[in-house]
Amino acid sequence: MTGQSTGQSTRQSTWYSTWYSTWHSAWKEQPLSFKLSSIIVVLVLCFGVINPFISYDPVLDVELSRRDLAPSWEYWMGTDGQGRSVALRLFKGIEAFFFPGLIAGLFAAFVGGVLGALCGYFGGWIGRSLSAVLELIDTLPRMVFLVLICTIFPPSILLISIISSVLFIPSIATIIRRKVEALGAEDYILAHVAHGFHPLKIISYHILWLQCRALLTRQMIFVFSYVLFIETALSYLGDYGVQEPYPSWGNMVAQSRISAVAWPWALPALAIIITIAALLAFGDGIARREEEVKR
Amino acid sequence: MSQIGLDHPQQKSAMLNEATIRWSLWLGSKLLRGLSLLCGASFIIYATLRSAPGDMVDLILGLNGTPEMKADLRAEFGLDLNIIEGYGRWAWRALSGDLGISITFMPGEPVLSLAGPAFLVTLSIAVVSLLCSIAVAYGLAILLGPPRPRQAFLLGPIQLLNAAPSFVVAICLAKVINELIQFQLAGGGQIPPSWYPIPTYQKITDSIAPFCFAALSISLGDGLFTDLFNALRAELMSLNESLFISAVRAKGAAVRKHLIKNLIVPTLSVFTARLPLVLSAVVIVEYIFTLDGSGYLLLQAAKNRDVPVVVGVSLFFIFAVIVMNLILDLVKALVDPREVAKGD
Repeated sequence: MTGQSTGQSTRQSTWYSTWYSTWHSAWKEQPLSFKLSSIIVVLVLCFGVINPFISYDPVLDVELSRRDLAPSWEYWMGTDGQGRSVALRLFKGIEAFFFPGLIAGLFAAFVGGVLGALCGYFGGWIGRSLSAVLELIDTLPRMVFLVLICTIFPPSILLISIISSVLFIPSIATIIRRKVEALGAEDYILAHVAHGFHPLKIISYHILWLQCRALLTRQMIFVFSYVLFIETALSYLGDYGVQEPYPSWGNMVAQSRISAVAWPWALPALAIIITIAALLAFGDGIARREEEVKR
Repeated sequence: MSQIGLDHPQQKSAMLNEATIRWSLWLGSKLLRGLSLLCGASFIIYATLRSAPGDMVDLILGLNGTPEMKADLRAEFGLDLNIIEGYGRWAWRALSGDLGISITFMPGEPVLSLAGPAFLVTLSIAVVSLLCSIAVAYGLAILLGPPRPRQAFLLGPIQLLNAAPSFVVAICLAKVINELIQFQLAGGGQIPPSWYPIPTYQKITDSIAPFCFAALSISLGDGLFTDLFNALRAELMSLNESLFISAVRAKGAAVRKHLIKNLIVPTLSVFTARLPLVLSAVVIVEYIFTLDGSGYLLLQAAKNRDVPVVVGVSLFFIFAVIVMNLILDLVKALVDPREVAKGD
């Protein structure tokens, strides 16, 4: 059926071959940076999902006789000062930020998107009071406020991720609000209003879903990368994040920063940089692609 | 408006009056906004304090608090009142300079005398690193000119810097410095080189080297430099192609003066937008280089659960962000009075 409608392919095409060919042609025209970054993002995603099903035992296995071994076939990234495999710890360390990051990203994108759309669509006193509250949250320096929260409340990574997502809601809401304000004057939105669509339907479907999808995804990825950053930073500082024997990229760097060999601290540091770079490039790529498709 | 009307002295004074009123209205609204932001932000902090699980006084004092100390603390944070009155009293005390007394980190020391000098260090690191990266970004943007595909090799690393958190940059830098010092130690000297004293500083001049390293790692990390570079380059390019610059060029006048004047406002906007992020980055970087700033103070106090110090330092951060925003808004309005003339 699809083969006839396009009139070009003589072969019988199924739903998956059509899907594959669109996907393949879209993949081919992407720049190299987007390809690389999406490979890394998919790897992190897979590792993050598999992680909880794998036991901690090999990661915590201390054996001083094999400390500071250079990378080899047995230990891909060498071993650290306590003889634990750096590769395994890197892999297991994804767990520290993966689910908190996902939760924070989804929460911030959802709440920020809804608040921004409400501000932009209704304006008036609702918009003004909401934007006043958002501006207030935006004045708090994020790191300082997180440290304050960790001092007063018993620190847990879930609390940290929720607070950091709340701190990101204003910036997301502002971006969405500008977009919605620009869209609100467009003819087709006015046409929907004139047809008597419910405002909530227009906001949730025609504005947020159809127009702001890519923007929100990008912001979600940005919040995810911020949670990665804040988790590694707090674990590096040592009191609030993941505690030693359990691995996190931050405490791996912190623990082996005085070690004589380079790999136990350099590889986690490199992993942090590369993952954040890949996440940012991936988000940018998605937003860019959406723009191109619209044009 | 006719030519004659403009020259008339009464008309002139009326216009002057109108301008003064507009300026004072604008300034008043900005001040009011700053004040309400300050109130709101400090209220958030106070509400966070009050919502602590369990009794907050026990949390602050730990097990070794006498009943008098407890009562004193209760009065200080206004815990015996409801939240609005308590906030009022707490804010009034904070405004009159009484931020409480450090409990565990440096017992008995007033928070104001701890946090004040330390905050100056933090603010100067933040401002120096922001100014440095703005200057270098402009220099590079002018040097490179419009984007060309051949520059990808040079710009690739700059774009990768976007992703390096400042604390990772700082760790790498510290590692390199440690290598240098160890190298010198192996060479025979027992004392680390005079340009890098560790770990505490007796004089201000001692901390110049770590200060520079901290500023360097902040300006490189967190995408600060990359974002600045991209934004300023785009700004420079669009200005270069704008009609009025072409007109100036066609008249044969010097372009630079007009360029600089038009670049001040976007640069200040970038500065304003980036300052809270940079202040956050300073916290960890100071800790890594053991600089005696408020970030180091904050983390040490947080480690020791010294709530008054942590709250005092946070208040300093918020106050600094709001005041700097006000000052930058004022400078922006002085350079480009169109916003004031628009009125509101």
